[in-house]
Amino acid sequence: MAADRFPSPFEVPTPDGAEGWESMYDWYHLFGPERRELDEQRFWFADRLHHPDVLHPYDEIQCECWWQALGAFNTRVFAMPPAFGVDQRIVNGRLYVTPVPAPPEDIAARAEEFGKRAGHYYERWDAIYDEWRTKVMAKLEEIRALRFDPLPDLEPEETVYQHTGHSAGFRMIRDFDRLVLTMYETYQYHFELLNIGYAAYLTFFGMCRAAFPDISDQSISRMVGGLRVDLYRPDDELKRLAKEAVRLGLAERITATEDAASLFADLRSDAAGAEWVADWERTADPWFLINTDPGHPGGYHTYPTWADDPNIPLASVREYLRRLADGTTIDRPTDEVLAERDRITAGYRELLPEAERATFDDTLALARQVFVYIEEHVLYIEHWMWATFWAKSHELSRALAAMGEFDEPEDMFFLRRYEVAEAIYDCVAGWSVGSRPRGADYWRPIIARRREIYTALRAWEPPPALGPPPTTIDEPFTVMLWGITTSTVAEWLRSDSEEGVLRGTAGSPGVVEGPVRVVTHPSELPSIEPGDILVCPATSPSWAPVFGRVAATVSDVGGIMSHTAIVCREYGLPAVVGTGNAVSTLRTGQRVRVDGSAGVVTVLEPV
Amino acid sequence: MSPSWIVGLDDPAAADAALVGGKGAGLRRLVALDARVPTGFVVSTAAFAAAMEGAEDLEASLRDVGPDTPLDVLEQAAGRARAALLGASRSGLVLEAVREAYTALVGPDTRVAVRSSAVGEDAAGASFAGEHDTYLEIRGPGAVADAVARCWASLYTARAVSYRQRAGGDAGAMAVVVQEMVTARAAGVFMTLNPANGDRSTVVCEAVWGLGEPLVSGEVTPDRFVLDKISGEILRREIAVKPTRMTRTDERPGTVVAEVPPEDRDRPCLDDAELAELLAVARRVERDAGTPQDGEFAVADPGGPSRIHLLQTRPETVWSARAPRSATGATGAGSALSAVLATLTRTTRQEGSDHGG
Repeated sequence: MAADRFPSPFEVPTPDGAEGWESMYDWYHLFGPERRELDEQRFWFADRLHHPDVLHPYDEIQCECWWQALGAFNTRVFAMPPAFGVDQRIVNGRLYVTPVPAPPEDIAARAEEFGKRAGHYYERWDAIYDEWRTKVMAKLEEIRALRFDPLPDLEPEETVYQHTGHSAGFRMIRDFDRLVLTMYETYQYHFELLNIGYAAYLTFFGMCRAAFPDISDQSISRMVGGLRVDLYRPDDELKRLAKEAVRLGLAERITATEDAASLFADLRSDAAGAEWVADWERTADPWFLINTDPGHPGGYHTYPTWADDPNIPLASVREYLRRLADGTTIDRPTDEVLAERDRITAGYRELLPEAERATFDDTLALARQVFVYIEEHVLYIEHWMWATFWAKSHELSRALAAMGEFDEPEDMFFLRRYEVAEAIYDCVAGWSVGSRPRGADYWRPIIARRREIYTALRAWEPPPALGPPPTTIDEPFTVMLWGITTSTVAEWLRSDSEEGVLRGTAGSPGVVEGPVRVVTHPSELPSIEPGDILVCPATSPSWAPVFGRVAATVSDVGGIMSHTAIVCREYGLPAVVGTGNAVSTLRTGQRVRVDGSAGVVTVLEPV
Repeated sequence: MSPSWIVGLDDPAAADAALVGGKGAGLRRLVALDARVPTGFVVSTAAFAAAMEGAEDLEASLRDVGPDTPLDVLEQAAGRARAALLGASRSGLVLEAVREAYTALVGPDTRVAVRSSAVGEDAAGASFAGEHDTYLEIRGPGAVADAVARCWASLYTARAVSYRQRAGGDAGAMAVVVQEMVTARAAGVFMTLNPANGDRSTVVCEAVWGLGEPLVSGEVTPDRFVLDKISGEILRREIAVKPTRMTRTDERPGTVVAEVPPEDRDRPCLDDAELAELLAVARRVERDAGTPQDGEFAVADPGGPSRIHLLQTRPETVWSARAPRSATGATGAGSALSAVLATLTRTTRQEGSDHGG
């Protein structure tokens, strides 16, 4: 029996042991009784694309960044005609979102304004993007320069002799504010270009679909993509390092030694090895500043970067060494991809009515222009900025724990950012008066309880959506970014869905069969055997090397523009994305058939 | 015997549609394109004219037939015309020439398909689809000559007569194509656009096990494949349950309907390599013709590479008459910005009806 609506957000039970979870999040992120009438009428879906796991209180900042910035740029800055922002609520530690449509009667006026404002950007796109890179890199340097050390017993001499005029305690308060504000500022820039970029990209998609109703998403993407962008650079650097290792005669040692620390120690003992390690270290900043979250990168403080855990990129280097030894090429076939892009573009173009070819060319040119940003901003912001933000947050947590504000550094992440500001003030005040901070005693029971709640929340399986589903979902950003369509929602509502069949979005064409390998954390990546079907919440660019081994990919979240879909198309692997529950449904070892052209995963043998 | 009675498909003279009919000229074009076409010849319109020379007025019985003529009266009148035609052609040099040409083709036991090829059929703008006869798995000089005569006579089937009444034109001249039978593992039809929506970037193919005739006549549900002309992707595969197939028997000429082994019934009757080959040849044919085409093909047993034979192609007549689908919908052409604005202001209602056809 299919239900006609999802549970009301006001009737979702609290999991056993998670009572009081609401205290972990800011009040404005919770469903409140005073808004029940409005919020109960809205359709909310679990944003597993950006936040597949329970949020730590501190990590709520990640949601806030895009909640505000996406909203402001759609609603207030560019007057995106059909769409306002995307509203957010947290239920049992999971983020639910709802796109807010613009009132239909406003669309025409907004379109006129959008034409002027976005038009200004489109005309100057490359120049604006150059400026953009400069200002974002400046922000990156700003937070890299922040230092969070335990406060000194005595101020350094320069405070006095250079007449600085303020104390290390004040600077800790100030620098935490700066850290947060800088991240917020960067998010303004993130959405300065993103959604108007997507609008151009979507337009090209729509054009192709109107002329060629049967065309695959993959073909349209191929006409736009295939550019040389920085997003692929980290993986290219690993390939380069693998070739260097062969040149220096180090392949065998790198392949034979499991652990990164002992490998690097061993390599440093001779000239060739030391040369390679030095190369690795030079490359690591910035290219290994890569988050490893399964999903949207940078969403959580808990995942290491490649630089934090060199075993992750080393596994890739070993894989490339293996392929080099087999005589297979490891370079991305960029020239072929570009040649194919040009070939199919000419092919479809030729089939258009002649009068429309100029519009097609113009729109394609704009789509290609914006696409560089759509891909590269992920590296600059989702990876570099967030990796640095989390690293600085960890640095702060270590300083506060060292000063006795917390029992251990990880405690800090169980506090909301406003509470962290309180903790810093308490710590600084204690330091200033020559006493001890009160925080450890004050926070200890609160943090202990929140740790229990966090564990209880993680065991909860969130419903895919809440509230009444809309009759149709055609808001272009929802469809494109989250891969959520009218039919996805209908599928969620069907409790009698076909046994052994998972449906998602056709991310990359082709049909293969193979054994499932469920991966939810990057530490599990080395267990992947060649020919496995990778089943994951989502993939991250840091996982790139596994695409040389797997036969296909199935993800819980993502649409045709998700990382999984893009990379699989590039590697020629079938992918079904946005299945919703592949990770919780499929078991490692189970044989499945993945039809990336139809978006269907079929279980061939139950386990 | 005049040499132009029998025209080989490898003879450039077979390009003359007035001589070899629409189907014959179409096959000649495919041969000239280096497409794989079963060996054969055309019994030309000149041969038909020679065979009819001195015959009584064949259409005498049809004089009084009109749009309101009752069906049984029409049937009787058509039957008399056919009988007159068969009587006139039975003796004479023309069918003797057909018997010789058949024997010279590949030997006296070869199975051939005998298909009518009327002048004016299969032209862009008018499809006389299925209005004339086809005889499959014909063996032996006498049987072939007989089938040729029956093809001639099919100018006067009741349906052909009434079709002409609607579409206009006189019976005209009839050529007949005689081609070696392909022992078909699978066969089907293709169209170089999607007839459901006019998408010109696709080739839609339908196919069944065995000979394609039950599919062409609409008796069975075929497998259906939608291929992307540009990217080469197989966009959709709809696999039908195919319990029977039309095939030859070794004992006697003609066709039989046989059971498909259970394990093959719900299996695709074309594999990816065969689809790729079909796509390539369909594209070549379309490019050469300069307009969307449909056609029939067979995969020679046991399938595999280089086994796709084209049996006929002709211009698609429905969508080709219209402009290609629009990429910009009602908004017309313009700058990228105007296209973006159109996308962002399109309502659901417009989404549903933006249709270029």
